[in-house]
Amino acid sequence: MNRIFILTPLIVLLVICIFSLVYLLSGKDPNKPPSALLNKNVPIFESSSLYNSKDIIKTKDIKNKKTLINFFASWCSPCKIEHPLFFEIQKKYPELYLLGFNHKDPPSDAKKYLEDDGNPYDFVGVDSDGLIALEFGVFGLPETYLINENGKIIYKFMGPITMDILKNEIEPLL
Amino acid sequence: MSSLVGFLSLVFAIGINFYLFLSRYIFKFQKQKFNLFIRLSSLLTLLSFFSLMYAYVVSDFSNYNVFQNSHSNKPLIYKISGTWGNHEGSMLLWLSILSIFSFFFSFTKKIDESFQRLTLIIQSLLHILFGLFIVFTSNPFLINSILVNEGLGLNPILQDPGLAVHPPILYAGYVGYSIVFSIAIAGLFQNTDDEWLYVAKKWSLISWTFLTGGIALGSYWAYYELGWGGWWFWDPVENISLMPWIAGLALVHSLMMVRGEQAIKKWIVFLSILCFSLSVFGTFLVRSGILTSVHSFAADASRGIFILLIFFIVTGFGFLVFLLKEPKKSNALNLLFINKVSALVINNILMIIATLTILLGTIYPIIIEVLYNKRISVGGPYFNSTVIPIMIPGFLLMSVAPILSWQTNKINNSKKYVLAFIILSVLVLIQSYFLDFNTWGFIGLLLGFWIILASIIAIFSSYKIKINIKFFKIINPHVAHIGVGIAIIGITCSSVFQNELDFNLNEGDKFIVNGKTVLFEKIETTNEINFQSLRGKFLFDIEKNQSKEIEAGKNYYPVSKMITSEAGILHQWNKDVYFILGDQKNNEWFVKVLINPFVSFIWLGVIIMMYSGLIAVYRR
Repeated sequence: MNRIFILTPLIVLLVICIFSLVYLLSGKDPNKPPSALLNKNVPIFESSSLYNSKDIIKTKDIKNKKTLINFFASWCSPCKIEHPLFFEIQKKYPELYLLGFNHKDPPSDAKKYLEDDGNPYDFVGVDSDGLIALEFGVFGLPETYLINENGKIIYKFMGPITMDILKNEIEPLL
Repeated sequence: MSSLVGFLSLVFAIGINFYLFLSRYIFKFQKQKFNLFIRLSSLLTLLSFFSLMYAYVVSDFSNYNVFQNSHSNKPLIYKISGTWGNHEGSMLLWLSILSIFSFFFSFTKKIDESFQRLTLIIQSLLHILFGLFIVFTSNPFLINSILVNEGLGLNPILQDPGLAVHPPILYAGYVGYSIVFSIAIAGLFQNTDDEWLYVAKKWSLISWTFLTGGIALGSYWAYYELGWGGWWFWDPVENISLMPWIAGLALVHSLMMVRGEQAIKKWIVFLSILCFSLSVFGTFLVRSGILTSVHSFAADASRGIFILLIFFIVTGFGFLVFLLKEPKKSNALNLLFINKVSALVINNILMIIATLTILLGTIYPIIIEVLYNKRISVGGPYFNSTVIPIMIPGFLLMSVAPILSWQTNKINNSKKYVLAFIILSVLVLIQSYFLDFNTWGFIGLLLGFWIILASIIAIFSSYKIKINIKFFKIINPHVAHIGVGIAIIGITCSSVFQNELDFNLNEGDKFIVNGKTVLFEKIETTNEINFQSLRGKFLFDIEKNQSKEIEAGKNYYPVSKMITSEAGILHQWNKDVYFILGDQKNNEWFVKVLINPFVSFIWLGVIIMMYSGLIAVYRR
């Protein structure tokens, strides 16, 4: 009995260490929380175009096509860093639908930003009050979502995407 | 240059410790020489640390670590604190403190020589483990491969005077337990007389006092810097520091039993190993990046695995030795219904349960994420509803514990206590009736006041009042408990009776807080050396002549593109009025005002506890 009592700390230690090791080796990064939306349907949204407020995009408009959704803003400097990559994606995968959501931005600033740096998006939706971002569970800008033909979110990335991430994580899904 | 000196002295120090470790088995040398080597290795480690600090002070960006974490525009104090404001530097600080403890321990005279040497050899082993960790995974002396003349800055949230001193003090607590650990292991190997228990007591008190100070500083910083109006969030990092603190408290109390010759050695050894294990575990959790918080500087799997290995070796070794070399049977405990021994045993059990409860809550998210790939967070509600009830019987007991007898069930003057308790209960009940009744508020206030009252009765009825050092030593346990009582009152009032007011204001608006008129004077933006500040200026109580000015706002740090909130706090002895400036919307500023009653009591209580810790160190 006494023996078991003294053995307990060692057993607890072992359990803690095994779980911690598995956690570490699994490559989980606390900065990338598993999204609750992953493998779920795209949230229902409705947004008007930045250039023409009568041009409206809805959830059902992106059904039946692979879509890359990117939340950006003119005031977000990391967005500027990833911006050129979208041109590459556009060139390489012309059938992929690139949907940009302009997050909490005055339209004039957003237009100027896309004029200066170019507009890689097939559609730029306005999310001036951030409600769409809220639906998507956006933590911070930029954030990128990949949606498959069935309207399910299959990939999410927080922060600016890089060449490595594009090659290793996004392209295999395309 | 300083990087080279730092790196070489770090490596030499590890080498010396390796040599000392081997000396146990291969080359023997005399005590004098042995101690000299220990001190030499300590000095070399410190030299290494100070050369890193020097590199920070002169902004030597040829050092990669300085380049990554410093900026020439930073004020001097933050350049210095930048030394430990990053992963590599903080590990070097950890190692330096370990050496400092070894250094001072080598001067201990009262214990058996071979025992002292064995303790120091175990310290050397720890030094080697952590030293290798630094050299291989977290070297702060790497040379920058590109030529730069400006650095990348320090996490701005850490640019704060309170936080500049928080890590060294906290580490002194964590690492101090290494000595206690080494003493306990040495005690297992060499069954000498119980003299070592006195030595262990002194060192565990020192560590505990530092740990208390470190936690309190961190908590105080969170209070005024994070801008949430609270001072304890059950954040994993806070829990990590709380676990060794509670276990250390149990240890200190168990070591008191030595005086009654009821040494329960087995238990003391277990706690000593546990305290240091929890400290290393905390270091692992924070440094591996498993937890995200302001403390995790960089996530790097190899570091995590290395330090997990150290944790496994240290803890496994400790408990294995404990298993194999179980201490000889000590005196049977004289357990009665209510005497000092039974009170201490109950107190120990409660503290261990509390520690385990916190441990479970802290690692539970890791286990769940591994098993189900789901992220959950365990927060305040869990800890509040488990840890606090567990501690309550302990709080009740501690009011009278110091005056309980070792041998009998009798409590001197027991009638006085019963009477006092009844009167106090009625008074608190009446008070709660007139304020909004709140169960936790009632329990907390009753406990807090009861502990203070009972301790004061005990002091006045059990001892002759004299003003000399000896008297302060005798009443020290009561003083410590009064500190706890004061802290409980502060904790209860500031959490249960906190009051929150929200306003949307324009500049020049007047509003009422707690019956006092406050003027929202203006918004001011200024450019400071390394940040831009936005401040809302408030005048509190403008109807009086001496109205007080409060500034609340935000700082923007361009180098790291971070915004920190700066709460404006008006400290009064019985409450803090806490201003938070929110965002501007439709030309109106959102202002949140929190009234936190009796927060100052928490800090006062902590200071009293630390004072008692220090007094107890000198006590034999």
